[in-house]
Amino acid sequence: MQSISFAYRQLNALILGKPLQIRLALTCMLAGGHLLIEDVPGVGKTTLAHGLAGVLGLDYRRVQFTSDLLPADMLGVSLFRPDEGRFEFQPGPVFSQLLLADEINRASPKVQSALLEAMEERQVSIDGQTHALPKPFFVIATQNPDGQLGTFPLPESQLDRFLMRISLGYPSPESERALLLAGDRRQALSALPAALQAGELLALQQKAAKVSASSALADYVLALLLASRKRELFVHGLSPRAGLAILAAARAWAMLDGRDHVLPEDVKAVFVVVCAHRLQSRLPGMSSIDAAQRLLDHVPLA
Amino acid sequence: MRSEPRLAHFAVLAALALTVLPLFLQLPPWVPLLFALQLGGRAWLAWQGRQLPHRVWLLLAMIVPVLLLWLSLRTLVGREGGVALLLLLTGFKAFETVTLRDWRVLLGLGFFLAATPLLFDQSLPSALWLLLSLFVLTWAMVLLAGGDSAASPRAAAQALLYAMPLMLLLFVAMPRLPGPLWSMPTTDQRATSGLSDSMAPGSIGQMIPSQEPAFTAQFRGRQPAREQLYWRVMVFDRFDGARWTAGSVPDSAAALASGAAGELSYSITATPFKGALPVLEHAVWAGEGVQQGTAQLVRRIDARNEARLRYDMRSVAQAAYPATLSAEQRAHYLQLPAANLRTRQQGEFFARQFRDETGRLAALSAWLQQQGLRYTLSPPLLQGDVVDDFLFSSRQGFCEHFASAFATLARAAGLPARIVVGFQGGEFNAGGQFWLVRSSDAHAWTEVWLQGRWQRVDPTALVAPSRIVSEVGELVPEAQAVLPVLGRRPPQWWHTVHAQWQRAGFVWQQWVVDYDARRQQSLFQRLGLGRVGVGSVMTILLLGGVLLVLPLLLWLLWRRPPVRSYPVRGWQLLVSRLQEAGVAAQASDTPAQLRDKATVLAAVQQQQLTRLLADWQQWRYAEGATDSDPRWRGWWWQVRRFRPPRLAAKKRTGR
Repeated sequence: MQSISFAYRQLNALILGKPLQIRLALTCMLAGGHLLIEDVPGVGKTTLAHGLAGVLGLDYRRVQFTSDLLPADMLGVSLFRPDEGRFEFQPGPVFSQLLLADEINRASPKVQSALLEAMEERQVSIDGQTHALPKPFFVIATQNPDGQLGTFPLPESQLDRFLMRISLGYPSPESERALLLAGDRRQALSALPAALQAGELLALQQKAAKVSASSALADYVLALLLASRKRELFVHGLSPRAGLAILAAARAWAMLDGRDHVLPEDVKAVFVVVCAHRLQSRLPGMSSIDAAQRLLDHVPLA
Repeated sequence: MRSEPRLAHFAVLAALALTVLPLFLQLPPWVPLLFALQLGGRAWLAWQGRQLPHRVWLLLAMIVPVLLLWLSLRTLVGREGGVALLLLLTGFKAFETVTLRDWRVLLGLGFFLAATPLLFDQSLPSALWLLLSLFVLTWAMVLLAGGDSAASPRAAAQALLYAMPLMLLLFVAMPRLPGPLWSMPTTDQRATSGLSDSMAPGSIGQMIPSQEPAFTAQFRGRQPAREQLYWRVMVFDRFDGARWTAGSVPDSAAALASGAAGELSYSITATPFKGALPVLEHAVWAGEGVQQGTAQLVRRIDARNEARLRYDMRSVAQAAYPATLSAEQRAHYLQLPAANLRTRQQGEFFARQFRDETGRLAALSAWLQQQGLRYTLSPPLLQGDVVDDFLFSSRQGFCEHFASAFATLARAAGLPARIVVGFQGGEFNAGGQFWLVRSSDAHAWTEVWLQGRWQRVDPTALVAPSRIVSEVGELVPEAQAVLPVLGRRPPQWWHTVHAQWQRAGFVWQQWVVDYDARRQQSLFQRLGLGRVGVGSVMTILLLGGVLLVLPLLLWLLWRRPPVRSYPVRGWQLLVSRLQEAGVAAQASDTPAQLRDKATVLAAVQQQQLTRLLADWQQWRYAEGATDSDPRWRGWWWQVRRFRPPRLAAKKRTGR
């Protein structure tokens, strides 16, 4: 646990004024989920991804998604070795512990679906051969907000492969001033010490999964799920997978708090980032984030 | 979704306004109007989310309306005064209604106010209005309890339906006092039956026929003919030349008549007019509650009681009275003032011409028929000697004119005569098998002492026979019931609906309003319970109530899981306690959020709250926590005892 709080402090020194987002990102990693960061360019998405890889001691690859990217460019190819007389699999960038899929909504749907399949199955099948992805395996995808030219928005059915969707937003004036004075963060990145040993992250993930959730807490999550399906706020309600995701994220959040059991406040802390990208608001002029927050404000704890 | 509290508050105010609507007809109009303004003002404050006025202001504001009330009614007690005061005070109560408990009190007052229109009017429309009021009040109660707003009308109807058997049981079995439960002084003595205690026909230029029902009568067995229906109410025997009044000479023929031929047995439901009640001629038997008085009149035994009464009577068509007229009485019934000289001369002429009294009466009648008199409800006003003016000049009038003229003539001719005032005829309701007599059926006729008994002579029948056989409405176009909207003769279906409505009103009166101690006892006897005293009825009711409620209680207890629901109900209670204290708590808040919001409370309460919340969180969400933990019971009781005082308005964080 000390190593995690060390990682937390390191990241906060790297990305100024965003403690909540950093904590959510860490929670996502501890819950073993993939993270979607939605924001305008230049607010530190890549830095956060890079920093996470650094402090968690993961090997890290980055793929810039473009419209002419092919699935093989990401997954890898089988090359014929004439001297050995056989095919050899040349793994692509997806075979890394942390893959940064930059601007995922610029790639063609074909590439998107190949990546999302890999994320779900945690393995890649090419030419009839199945190649397991490394453990742990995370994808941090970034995307620009909707409405920009030349994008293929991810379909809702695939969006829910991501455990969380967060956005960083512009820094506060003080943070930005500090940033301007401190200079380029890339330098700080390379100097970032790894906070976790190899295998330590997996152990922490297992520990997070064991955080206990009482039946009363399950009832609360259930009440949230049922309320989302009442068709007052949303086009479609939350799926059972979303319910499991809420619980997993809440467990990791509780562990970061140093507790061995989940409280309703943990659920409330992660609910919006876990659920907003899985929901479509029915109310005009209200984003799914606002609608999710409204749902939280109306479902009683008991 | 649970209903918003503000919605429930509006519902309570609206229900109160609806409930007292009938009082507009009974109280000085400004009282209900002020009440409506008060409710509207309170609703406006709730809508705007403004603070309520300070109590001192309320107290000061109360002075003026209460003073006005005193000035307009001269009393603050009794029926009008008491109800008006209650209304005003309830209106002011709305301005110090803040917490849920206050709103419940206000709603309770509403249930009480809903009964007040019954003090003025117990007819079927009032009862239907009460039913509507009860429904709306119950609806508001459901909303106030946080019920689902969409399902609330259904829930309210259900609750009322469940209460119905108990209501019926209490109505049937609750001990009734003989006589009215309370005798409330009223401020006005309205004559509702179209009668007055004197008669001065010359002073009436137009008689407006009122369709208001005066009384109902139901005959058992033999039904009477319409021309037989002379309902006596009062007798006028003193005449001052213009006005007939009731004299005070005792009538020796006070005893009941005897006779058997063509006996009619009937019950009348009527409101006494100064103690007097309608009765058919020649009553031979009077039932409970009434007594036969002088001049064949019937009075209520407790004459001061003006409440509606149902009584049984028997009358015969012809009867013999064991009576003679004393010299003193004879002189009284021949008394005439020194006026109307022409009429007196005419009478004296007949007295000289016809020695035989029967012949004299026949000649008088024949003479009257030859005078070309015309029946009208809008006669010209009479001047000077009114009887002379009528008989020899205007020759237009209605029953009072005819009766007055004929009685004067008869007295001048040496025949003792008097005027009987009451009703003639009525409308037979075939569906309900009863006669409805209206104010427009009011009538006056004369009686002449002939051959040892009083004989009825109806001069109106002599002059306009159709007035007696048919109804006024058919004779005089103005008197016809006119649909207020259409302004023309009502169609047939209107008559049908009208008759059905009257029938319903009759049944209501007969079975609900008239259900008194006497009828209750007879019902008990018919059910084989014998004579049941008040004590035993109360015991039966109490036992019955316990037996009725006990299974319900047991069912409720059995239905509720023993400990499981304590944390859930306790949480809701805790949140509402905080809300009542003025903390903007919500059931969707986490314990930590509640703690933060409750920092406005006093330190002691904050400590209590912190402990309650910590226990709740620990026992509910820690590893191995279950809702069936036995500690929950104790925790629940601690929550029940947790009552933070209401915050002062300045510190309040929300509504």
